[in-house]
Amino acid sequence: MFSLDTLNYPKIMSQEETILISFKDVAKAYGSVVALNDVSFEIKKGEFVFITGPSGAGKTTILKLILGEIVPSKGEVRVDNLNIVNLNDKNIPSYRQKIGVIFQDFKVLPDRTVFENVAVALAVIGLPESEWEDRVKHVLKLVGLNSHINSFPSQLSGGELQRVSLARALAVNPKIILADEPTGNLDWDTSDALMKLLEKVNEEGKTIIMATHNIEIVNKYKKRVIHVDRDDGEKDKPESGDDRIKETKEK
Amino acid sequence: MNSHFKTAWSYIRRSPFQALAASFVLTLTFFVTTVVSVLVYSSSQLLTYFETRPQVIAFLKSDATETDIASLQHKLEANPHIKDVVYVSKEEALSIYKEATSDNPHLGELVSPSIFPASLEFSVTDLSFAQSTIDEIKGEGIVESVGFTAALGGESSLNDVIGRLKTITSYVRIGGIAFVGLLAVTSLVILLVITSMRVVGRRDEVEILNLIGASKGFIRSPLVIEAFIYTLSGVLLGWAISFIAVLYLSPSVVTYFGEIPILPRDAIGLFKLFGIILGVELLGGSLLALLGSLIAVSRVKKVR
Repeated sequence: MFSLDTLNYPKIMSQEETILISFKDVAKAYGSVVALNDVSFEIKKGEFVFITGPSGAGKTTILKLILGEIVPSKGEVRVDNLNIVNLNDKNIPSYRQKIGVIFQDFKVLPDRTVFENVAVALAVIGLPESEWEDRVKHVLKLVGLNSHINSFPSQLSGGELQRVSLARALAVNPKIILADEPTGNLDWDTSDALMKLLEKVNEEGKTIIMATHNIEIVNKYKKRVIHVDRDDGEKDKPESGDDRIKETKEK
Repeated sequence: MNSHFKTAWSYIRRSPFQALAASFVLTLTFFVTTVVSVLVYSSSQLLTYFETRPQVIAFLKSDATETDIASLQHKLEANPHIKDVVYVSKEEALSIYKEATSDNPHLGELVSPSIFPASLEFSVTDLSFAQSTIDEIKGEGIVESVGFTAALGGESSLNDVIGRLKTITSYVRIGGIAFVGLLAVTSLVILLVITSMRVVGRRDEVEILNLIGASKGFIRSPLVIEAFIYTLSGVLLGWAISFIAVLYLSPSVVTYFGEIPILPRDAIGLFKLFGIILGVELLGGSLLALLGSLIAVSRVKKVR
């Protein structure tokens, strides 16, 4: 029922132990405020990883670093063998086109229909307009929004908006999906439904990195967890050996 | 339809009053530009007409032989300050007179060729040479008298007419260019304001597009296209209104000015003139749209 294969996407189902994302001694400071300090971890292709931690611990900073929205103050961030620090402004757009992003506040275009919101991602990657309809309809069917194709965001619920956001991310067949607190504005049932959807997308081979502080979700779905703490100097030494990062392996 | 064009069109549809304001100002700009262009053309034609028509007439003595006349004609033709030398015989002078008085045939019947002197008519390349040329011709033995075109009534009046025409033409040119320049600046400011409002109003959209990998060109294209739509609609409307107005007025204008060709007499000439004006306006309008929109979109928040 749920398959991306029918869109003739290149199959990225391989579960080989290839490193897709690596952080090596990464630090990020905003002026005098240190958001991340000497963080190192690796994420393999096809993994589903939760990044947890309290507000202000640097979860979103990690996602922004992966997306190339910011550059580290120190260290190296590699995504798909690409050092994102070396990306220039010209290469950033094509790099981001390989990453799907879902946001806590959905970030859908309010004056465009559901169809147009998804199609805009296809326009960005330069897909011929003649191929939009089939692909948009297919991803909307996958996320269960095919009956809302001509609705405007104001006519949708929070869960539906988040599914529009997911459909937009999936439409471009990204290697990685970054989800920044996607359940932050949703009730438990809607969050659970979204998580099931993300889990299915992950089963199709997409690497998913999800920042969340929703412990119930983390506990229920039992994926690998990267926990980031605030750098207040009072925490126990992290198990991973890094200053502020502690990992919990998939149970 | 191109997706950027669709987006630009949706911007226009969602802010119809801004779109109307921009289109009106640009239509006015290009309407005035077209009218000024036609005025500059017509005044130039008027000036050229008076500058190039036979200005000096050397009336010849009745006993001048054909050899003497031919010799003088060659001498005049060799003078670099003189052009368009034409010999008018007594018979030709009579027929010109008859033609001019055709509405009253009795006048033509009362005269014979003998009362009209033969003449050599010519123009000077520049009016500043007129006086010296006239003085020179007066010294020729076969020349009875020298005068300017009868219709203009003599040297001083011809100089006055040309002088005034030159002044009017330069006023039309300078005033027209200044006025068009002022309107062009106004149009540019309007485009800047509207595009800037779009940029500010769509800050969230720009952020989202940035995050999903849209290039700067992708983000800016609809804004530039929108400016082009305003400008090109302004060019076409302004040009079309003035063209229709000229077509409507041209019969009266042509009749009023008689033989002075202030507008092309044939349809092809008129279309050619307006075609050139349209081409130049399309080029100028494109530059205006590009400049206005690119300055405004350069204000899009610079993010990595």
